[in-house]
Amino acid sequence: MSTVSLTFLLFVAAGLLLYYMAPKKLQWILLLALSYIFYLSGGVSMTGYLLFTTLSTFLAALFIGRQNKRLSDLSREEREKAKKAVGRKKKLVCALAIVLNFGLLYFLKYWNFMAELFQSAFSVTLVRFDLIMPLAISFYMFQSVGYLVDVYRDKYPAQKNVFKYMLFVSFFPQMVQGPIGRYDALAPQLLGGHKLDFENLKAGIQLMVWGYFKKLLIADRAAVVANQVFGNYEEYGGTVILFGVILYCIQLYCDFSGGIDIIRGVAKLFGIEMAENFRQPFFAVSLTDFWRRWHISLGTWMKDYLFYSISFSKPLMRFGKFSRRKIGGRFGKILPTSIATFIIYFVIGIWHGASFKYVAFGLWNGILITSALLLEPAFIKIKKKLHIRDKNRWYHVFQVLRTTVIIIIGRYLTRADGFLYAVAMLKKTLLHPIASQIVNGELLRLGLKMEDYLVIVFGMALLLFAEVLQECGKSLSAVLDRAPSFCQYAVMAMGFICILWFGVFSGDYIASEFIYMQY
Amino acid sequence: MERLKQILSDICPGIDLQSQVMIDDGLIDSFDMVALVSELMDEFGVNISIEDIIPENFNSVAAMQALIERAD
Repeated sequence: MSTVSLTFLLFVAAGLLLYYMAPKKLQWILLLALSYIFYLSGGVSMTGYLLFTTLSTFLAALFIGRQNKRLSDLSREEREKAKKAVGRKKKLVCALAIVLNFGLLYFLKYWNFMAELFQSAFSVTLVRFDLIMPLAISFYMFQSVGYLVDVYRDKYPAQKNVFKYMLFVSFFPQMVQGPIGRYDALAPQLLGGHKLDFENLKAGIQLMVWGYFKKLLIADRAAVVANQVFGNYEEYGGTVILFGVILYCIQLYCDFSGGIDIIRGVAKLFGIEMAENFRQPFFAVSLTDFWRRWHISLGTWMKDYLFYSISFSKPLMRFGKFSRRKIGGRFGKILPTSIATFIIYFVIGIWHGASFKYVAFGLWNGILITSALLLEPAFIKIKKKLHIRDKNRWYHVFQVLRTTVIIIIGRYLTRADGFLYAVAMLKKTLLHPIASQIVNGELLRLGLKMEDYLVIVFGMALLLFAEVLQECGKSLSAVLDRAPSFCQYAVMAMGFICILWFGVFSGDYIASEFIYMQY
Repeated sequence: MERLKQILSDICPGIDLQSQVMIDDGLIDSFDMVALVSELMDEFGVNISIEDIIPENFNSVAAMQALIERAD
């Protein structure tokens, strides 16, 4: 069931009606039923994977939670004695559940790619499978493993009711493209009752309208040009290719953030606040800053569960001591952190899929961020010599533009059909620009009419205005809230009409699936 | 306490040492955190485990002091 469909809206409306009619104590059961109906509509076999992750992490966390409780019930001396043996058991169970789940994800995502590699490198033929990626598998797997590790770290007790845990893993709005929720923030909201709140309904609908606006008006139009240029790049000069890549950047942002707005809006209708996933990423002043603003729930997951686990692992701690003593200085201090950082960004890169282009994307991010970290003292010296201060407005603009260029280059890698195609496109952009194609009407032969470009331009102008407001600590919805009621309804109605007119009824293309669904 | 403040100022130059929300307000980021924990372990000879890396233990100088005293 696509979130960009009338069926989905009717499903949400019916769900809402039942949810607020049900007694508060039973509301979570209804949410669980809705979530499984939603997921089952995508196929029964996909639900098997969901149940496997849910039950394996639930049972492992339950066991670990019992061990934590056992330890806390002991006296200090007894605890010290038992700590090692209990710790070993906890670690074993936790590791087993993680290996089983990520092993499954690895198999589904990378098996065929690895088989291909083996065949070309060693002429060994491995069995290949016709595998379909279950909807949102990496999102719910990350969420479940996050919960398991939190229980392992004794952050909170394990959930004892399997059905309540099933709801945390499968809550239907997040079963498309995240965001990756945290148990301590999400579960109390899912399991606690909610009464109908007009403010929540209004905020939820506003968020959904904003999301559909981004997805249907901007992203799906920009996709037409991106698909044409990436699919037939050999026909175009470098400038048109760059134009196509920029439109792909716009498509990706409006598609992903629009989808998340719809999801967060739907959750808000049920009185549930989901994690933010974006914070004006195109105002980032560095690549690190960009990753703090883009797909935030994945970034914080990586930080809490992978970065810290690697950074505080015994081998890296030992290496840290060694590098501080033997290498010394700032370089010696940050070398271990840099290694962990490189691994994280490399993992984020290959998380996107099984292909050399994603390996290159991971390396691109990892190398740039690690180099920036290691070379920071040199940059500070250069800035001092050139009398550049971080607070200078022009320097800030320069930083934003520099980051944008870096991100655009990265997008050649993620969207092209393969690594070599990305390199060829980049080469054409730099060496054969053929700028005349921009003014000779070529842009109108990329699948969009002039009025479609105008919709994108006006849409982006409004989006940019909203993002500037947010960057200044204000929000478009707060501005709207201060307006008289009739103005608020008029704006909402206009937004709704715009979506129907420009997003549903006009244009010769149909609403496409969300890009991040495939991850 | 003074040594702790010195380490904190070295790792996060310009940090407000009176702040009670160092993590919540983003004054200490993840890179700083790794450097800080390594430094505290070296300086005070204590063992800080990953389970201790939670905002409550690093939001203020007093919280860090308490963590060091608790750690073995």
